[in-house]
Amino acid sequence: MLVLRRIISGFRRLFHKRQVEQELDDELRAYLETATEQKMSAGMSRDEAVRAVRVEIGSLEVVKDRARDVGWESVAESLWQDLRFAIRMLRKSPSFTAVAVLTLALGIGANTAIFSVVNSLLLRALPVVDPQRLVLISSGTADKRGNTTAWTSPIWEQFQQRSGMFDGAAAWSVDDEQLNLTQGGGEAERVDGLFVSGDFFRTLGVPALLGRMLVSADDVRGVGAEGAVAVISYRMWQQRFGGAATAIGTPLVIERVPFTLVGVTPPEFFGIEVGRSFDVALPFSAEPLVHGKDSMADAGGNWLWVMLRLKQNQSREDAAALLHGVQRQVGEVAIPKSLPPEVLQSFLNDPFTLVPSAVVPSSLRRQYTRPLLTILVVVALVLLVACTNVANLLLARASARRHELSVRLSLGASRWRLARQLLVESLVLASVGALLGLAVAAWGSRAIVSQISTSVSRIALDLSLDWRVLAFTVAVTLLTAILFGAAPAFRATDIAPMGVLKEHGRNASGARGVVFAGGLLVAQIAVTVVLVVAAGLFVRTFTSLATLHLGFDPDRVLLVNMNSGRASVDPTQRVPLYERARDAVRVVPGVADVALSTVTPVSGGGMVRRIEVSGGVAVPSTFLNSNGFANVISPGWFSTFGTPVIAGRDFNDRDRTGSVPVTIVNEALAREFLNDANPLGHTVTIVGGPLPQMEIVGVVADAVYLSLRQPAPPTIYMPLAQFPRPPAMLASVSLSVRSSSASPVALTKSVAAAIGGVNPDLALTFRPLLDQVNASLTQERVVAMLSAFFGALALLLAGLGLYGVTSYSVSRRQAEIGIRMALGAQRSQVMRLVFRQSIALIGVGLVLGLTGAAAVTRYVQGMLFGLTPLDPATFIAVPLLMIVVATLAVYLPARRATKVDPMVALRCE
Amino acid sequence: MDNKQSAVVQGTLDMLILKTLALEPMHGYGIGVRIEQISKGVFQVNAGSLFPAFRRLERDGLIKGEWRATENNRRAKYYALTPRGRTTLKRETRDWEAQTAAIARILGASLGKL
Repeated sequence: MLVLRRIISGFRRLFHKRQVEQELDDELRAYLETATEQKMSAGMSRDEAVRAVRVEIGSLEVVKDRARDVGWESVAESLWQDLRFAIRMLRKSPSFTAVAVLTLALGIGANTAIFSVVNSLLLRALPVVDPQRLVLISSGTADKRGNTTAWTSPIWEQFQQRSGMFDGAAAWSVDDEQLNLTQGGGEAERVDGLFVSGDFFRTLGVPALLGRMLVSADDVRGVGAEGAVAVISYRMWQQRFGGAATAIGTPLVIERVPFTLVGVTPPEFFGIEVGRSFDVALPFSAEPLVHGKDSMADAGGNWLWVMLRLKQNQSREDAAALLHGVQRQVGEVAIPKSLPPEVLQSFLNDPFTLVPSAVVPSSLRRQYTRPLLTILVVVALVLLVACTNVANLLLARASARRHELSVRLSLGASRWRLARQLLVESLVLASVGALLGLAVAAWGSRAIVSQISTSVSRIALDLSLDWRVLAFTVAVTLLTAILFGAAPAFRATDIAPMGVLKEHGRNASGARGVVFAGGLLVAQIAVTVVLVVAAGLFVRTFTSLATLHLGFDPDRVLLVNMNSGRASVDPTQRVPLYERARDAVRVVPGVADVALSTVTPVSGGGMVRRIEVSGGVAVPSTFLNSNGFANVISPGWFSTFGTPVIAGRDFNDRDRTGSVPVTIVNEALAREFLNDANPLGHTVTIVGGPLPQMEIVGVVADAVYLSLRQPAPPTIYMPLAQFPRPPAMLASVSLSVRSSSASPVALTKSVAAAIGGVNPDLALTFRPLLDQVNASLTQERVVAMLSAFFGALALLLAGLGLYGVTSYSVSRRQAEIGIRMALGAQRSQVMRLVFRQSIALIGVGLVLGLTGAAAVTRYVQGMLFGLTPLDPATFIAVPLLMIVVATLAVYLPARRATKVDPMVALRCE
Repeated sequence: MDNKQSAVVQGTLDMLILKTLALEPMHGYGIGVRIEQISKGVFQVNAGSLFPAFRRLERDGLIKGEWRATENNRRAKYYALTPRGRTTLKRETRDWEAQTAAIARILGASLGKL
């Protein structure tokens, strides 16, 4: 009540200012008159009485001021005054303001940009109801490795039956391959599919924007009551249907299966895995229809993820205990009896674990968490460098404004009032910088995501501003304002007005100012050195990966994925079909070489086997009970990829089923299994494989297989024509085409036509091998690019800072330099004078920076390749670069100092 | 007499003004004189303290100002206690007495009495 009364009276005073002032004046005058009369009636003369009253009261303005200061409104009013004054002062020096605002906009913008990517990738919860109650069911061992477990359809059915123990269960699966969608006789489009359980949307609490979401009745084996139905994303609805309400009920054809469109998801529901959006959501029951003979559900594959919604007040531990209680029942029912008993045993030995999933774990998150946090630290340091720059600018300005500040102090302003004035100026600078920074951030975060997104993995992130990003920006803005505004504000409070006034406006600043600016410079150089060292390490990591000897030649190779899953071909006839397609492509003009394989390099997938070599040593398993990689290829694969055959021969058309089983190995295999003995004539056996011994007929050079970061592993190659094929395995193969001269992409059309001539039902996807190699380096490239950009920015800012401080100190010492030169000092001596000041600062900054860098770079060791965290080249080159920049930044003002005409400088006095 | 003057204890000026006005409505200068008289010159309050106090009390609705003619036929702003001011004065007087009594007991304490 009292507070309300105070607020209202405050507003009354603000809005009726003149009336309130008038009343105060009247009251004070009446007070004076009564006082005088009283004194006169006590016997004083009028003059005596007036003087006595004046002495008693003191300054009338002070009395008024104290009366005005009673309410909050006076604080608000003086802040408003400060604000207007600050804007006026900043407008008076536009170049200073522009430099400061731009510096801050870059610094704050970079931070906001990176943070909004971090936010949408790592922090933002699923756009569903109460995401904190969602948990993912994983297995203990997968969770320990930071992975999540995919389950089979029968296991999901067991969870589904028990969903009453919780507030529901939901399952989904994301297809790596896009689906073919046609609608209304239009052109086919590749879309991203999401398979979900019937009660997926209900459990998550995602309402339909239009129509209805999928329900349990849709997820019935065969087809549901309304036939096959589909739900599309908001984006798809906008793009394909122009947001028309009539879209509901439209027939869609997905992979030749007719569906009915029944609903549209709300715009904020991007899907379930961060970074991966979806276009069409289909019920699980539709998966066998769409995938035909290659159905994951029918094959008993681990293809879906399961999420539970905990009940209110149900803890994760309680829910896990409930699940452990039924694990045996689930396993006994859901794991097929046809599998060896060890499978059930290992399932039972690996208890269910519940992973909090308000933010669903995704491969994108796993891959980018460290790099993004590293870059976030980098941009924070860049902002620090920017802050020191602005602080130095402000310090120089504060010295120039000492006269103004002294006058205000002498007129009765409090020191706190002056400091507040300067802080408000800083805040105005920072706020304008932040506003511009938001624009920088909107552009920058989009640029970063488009860099992360490749043709190989399409990334979609929701980068819209939310309260977290805004709160972050506001916090950063306030922090920067305090960081760069505090120093000048403190300095302003220890001005001795008399001393400054006596200087009569000359800017002789005390020794403390110089020390302060020097300290800032040292810090700035040190932080910059750390940033440039980090940039050096990341750039060198990227270049050593990008220039790595791959063992194959990625230029001029086009990869064509051929999928026969939906073609009406008997699985046993798939290889002959692929061979006919290969032969058709071979005669396309511009094709130099062509070959088939099940795996292509750095595609993200591979084939691992446990290998034994006759007469060789036993090599222990390295990964998943395997000790080597394998690939199944057609003749001509090595010449297509440009991998040299070192000894023996390539496969030829006589290596078919029925002839002697043969294999080709790489040098790494010879090294590890045979101690570098000649492998020709030895035989290779795959443990547990269907093939007998295979004779080694050729040796090829080592080539990168899975990742550029791993040295070429021991690898065996087997002829496709000899490969005993489980039908599902060869549903798709890669056709690699080497172009004779032009860019391989130019061949796309003619290759597609040639394959279409053989069988129009083969689903094709095209990708240049170079793209695939580059895509595998996306993370390294983005980190190198960002760190190099910010390292350069920091270097530029530090150079500007040093330049600014040096030229300011030179201009202040103009008279002194003039006298020295008049007394006979040489130019070189003046030069030395200027340099001597800076060299110590630069030296200390360098030492601190290098020490700091040496201490922190080991935290990014995991992100480096081919070099140690204390990489000598980087640690030598960076200080040299810093010295060059610093020398330039000092040399320019120093040279100007030597150009001082002694007469001019002295006349200034 | 000069060496007996002292500043009004922080925070008690408001209470003294309220008490003065409880006797009769009074203009600004009169309030200052009255406090000085009653305290036998121990408290001297000047305009610099009085005016902010008037503002504070008026804003909080404890006193009310009104322009009236003085005995010498001049216009002056007379302040009077509001009902709310009267209750506040009662409460503050009670609190003050309790506090001073307690302080007096502490200052007068000796080991024997404990």
